[in-house]
Amino acid sequence: MNEIFPSPAAGRFGRRLKRERGAKVPVTVLTGFLGAGKTTLLQRFLKTPDGQGTAVVVNEFGVAGIDDTLVRSSADETVLLGNGCLCCIARSDLQLALRRMVAERERGDLPDFKRIVIETSGLADPSPILQTFATDRALGDAFHVEAVVTVVDAAAGLDTLGWSAEARKQAILADRLVITKTDIAGSTAAPLTERLRALNPGAEILQAVNGALDPSRLTEPARDQRNAFVAEAEHSDGIVSFVLTDKKPMPWPVFARTMDTLMAMRGPDLLRVKGFLNVEGCAGPVVVQFVQHLAPPPVELAQWPDGNRESRVVFITRGVMERQVQGLFEAVKALVLSP
Amino acid sequence: MSAADNPLTRTGEPVTWNFKLLSQNDLGGFGGMGEGMSVQIAKDGRRIIWLAHESAPKNFTAVDVSDPRKPKVVVQTDLPKPYMRSNSLETAGDIMAVAYQTQKVGQQPAGLELFDISVPEKPRSISFFDCSGAHSRGAHQLWFCDGEYVHMASGSPDFKPSHPQDDQFYRCIDVRDPSKPKEIGRWWMPGTSATDNVRPPPRHPLDKGYRAHNTNVYPQRPDRLYLCYIDGGMFVMDIKDKANPKVISHWTNSPPYTGFMHTAVPLFDRKLMLVTDESTENAGKDWPKLIWILDLRDETHPVPIATCPMPPLDAYKDRGGRFGAHNIHENVKLPTAWQSDQIVLGTFFNGGLRAYDISNPYQPKEVGTFVPPPPKGTPVGAVQLNDVFVDEREIVYTVDRHTGGLYILEMDF
Repeated sequence: MNEIFPSPAAGRFGRRLKRERGAKVPVTVLTGFLGAGKTTLLQRFLKTPDGQGTAVVVNEFGVAGIDDTLVRSSADETVLLGNGCLCCIARSDLQLALRRMVAERERGDLPDFKRIVIETSGLADPSPILQTFATDRALGDAFHVEAVVTVVDAAAGLDTLGWSAEARKQAILADRLVITKTDIAGSTAAPLTERLRALNPGAEILQAVNGALDPSRLTEPARDQRNAFVAEAEHSDGIVSFVLTDKKPMPWPVFARTMDTLMAMRGPDLLRVKGFLNVEGCAGPVVVQFVQHLAPPPVELAQWPDGNRESRVVFITRGVMERQVQGLFEAVKALVLSP
Repeated sequence: MSAADNPLTRTGEPVTWNFKLLSQNDLGGFGGMGEGMSVQIAKDGRRIIWLAHESAPKNFTAVDVSDPRKPKVVVQTDLPKPYMRSNSLETAGDIMAVAYQTQKVGQQPAGLELFDISVPEKPRSISFFDCSGAHSRGAHQLWFCDGEYVHMASGSPDFKPSHPQDDQFYRCIDVRDPSKPKEIGRWWMPGTSATDNVRPPPRHPLDKGYRAHNTNVYPQRPDRLYLCYIDGGMFVMDIKDKANPKVISHWTNSPPYTGFMHTAVPLFDRKLMLVTDESTENAGKDWPKLIWILDLRDETHPVPIATCPMPPLDAYKDRGGRFGAHNIHENVKLPTAWQSDQIVLGTFFNGGLRAYDISNPYQPKEVGTFVPPPPKGTPVGAVQLNDVFVDEREIVYTVDRHTGGLYILEMDF
């Protein structure tokens, strides 16, 4: 609309936001293997002041109904997804459930929820959930994924990570990793922490005892800059993570065209790309996000969260290496900026 | 779900979304507030918000909001007569202008009073400009931000309307010498004066009058008046020659809507305009009363392009009192007022305070809501948020029409 109704107060990406989610409903994706302690963690959270006004979306897998019964008793609203695993079957159920919640809130049929926690089934790969928010325009306009929190059982976690590719992916894509049952696991927490650190060097690793966790760890947005000093790491299953940094302001066409090319060629292998970009001509950092071949619209924040104005974008990919992405950026920059 | 079970229709179900309530002050039990809110930075550095009351017995209240979490009343004054109301006030520096209206024509005092507020605890009257008359209820609303001119909606001793409801018209008062205010210009909608050689306008079903309400003149465009004329719609006026205001354009939504156009706020850089209606009937009987967005690229031809979305009628109409648009933050060009052409904040009586992102003016989006519980002692059973002002620190002040007084909030979006 800036072409017709320009505003000096708006940037290239529209209104400058105080925070990344703007006015959208924050969403926490809570994932973790069966029996890892997600429900206990969630129940404790819902009883705290931070948990007030939380709507819980649960999907069932396996032992139908148990999780739902537990959560419904304490949450303000629970929507039960009955179609099994979120990643493969229930993505459309999730979309329907969330859309219905928005419509019902509009009509006044649902209480005024302030936050949504999506508790996934044990086997769920979080990528399709992230994709859902990136693809569904109605949902993307209303909701913002603030954090992906993965719960890992100290007793069985190490073993599970060894045999399950889904469990590894849950750990790799998390913003925060919460180790539970440390009280009964004895000495196994240290090797587990080490394994998680190797899988996801950027994530914050926390411990919960009897489901007790600082509630802000389920609600606060993940800070991408924490990854700034993490070197490229190759995890299991060919998954690679690295951080691209750049001290100089980036011309937007260079970034946009590089990412267009990358998505066209290796979209399915871009598991999660997210970070702050110092874009030429912008006052605050521009938050960019990609999930495979999908990208929610970038937003400009009103100001940088700290003194560091470096662009820093975290890439989690399947086999797309840092030097390749770096090389593509250089090539596009040379082409875009050449006279 | 039945209406009784619906949490949003239950009386008093509060909603707070992307606003943070910092404090509330019932102003000593006189928390029925009008539509005058203006921030002064006192000589000693204190930040004082001056608030107009909805009705007698109180005239105005000043609140120290230097710490928005701990507002303190510094002065509260009384009206001399119980039939008076001073619903509107504005400050410019250490001068405050207050509008006085009476319940019936012919009552006194009615008009404009100027105060020296350099010592906020002791507001001192500088002058009084009489607007009373056989056909006048005095001044309902005024605009004053440049320290030089008061633009107001007022009757006058020498004005006889063609219909008794149409007594208040646009008047420009020169207050450059605040001890001697004098009228230098006036305008009324053709047909509303008994002396006009024009047919009076047709009455609307609710018949709230063809009379001036908000009279906004911005220092960045001193030759323009953005005038709302209640049942007469909105006028963009050329006031380069203040003695001879001329109509540039006129827009109205009524009929089919039900009149009472209230405020017009131009967004100069974007060539847009916000226009509000006022809801005046209880139980949503005049629904929908809206905030309209107009394309003002051609000021001779304003075009409505959108309205700010309202919550469902069913969720609010039975809560008590009025439900619908009223005042908005007006971007008064003062160092103590927030300026935004991206966000609109408006009060909707029992619909509370709502904030809209209009970065895409074709699709305004609600980004914040504040519907507090019914304030203690309210006669209507629900909050009736009446006016809103945002200071340059982005602190939001909103007031209840009956008992709730002042609510101070932070925007969180």
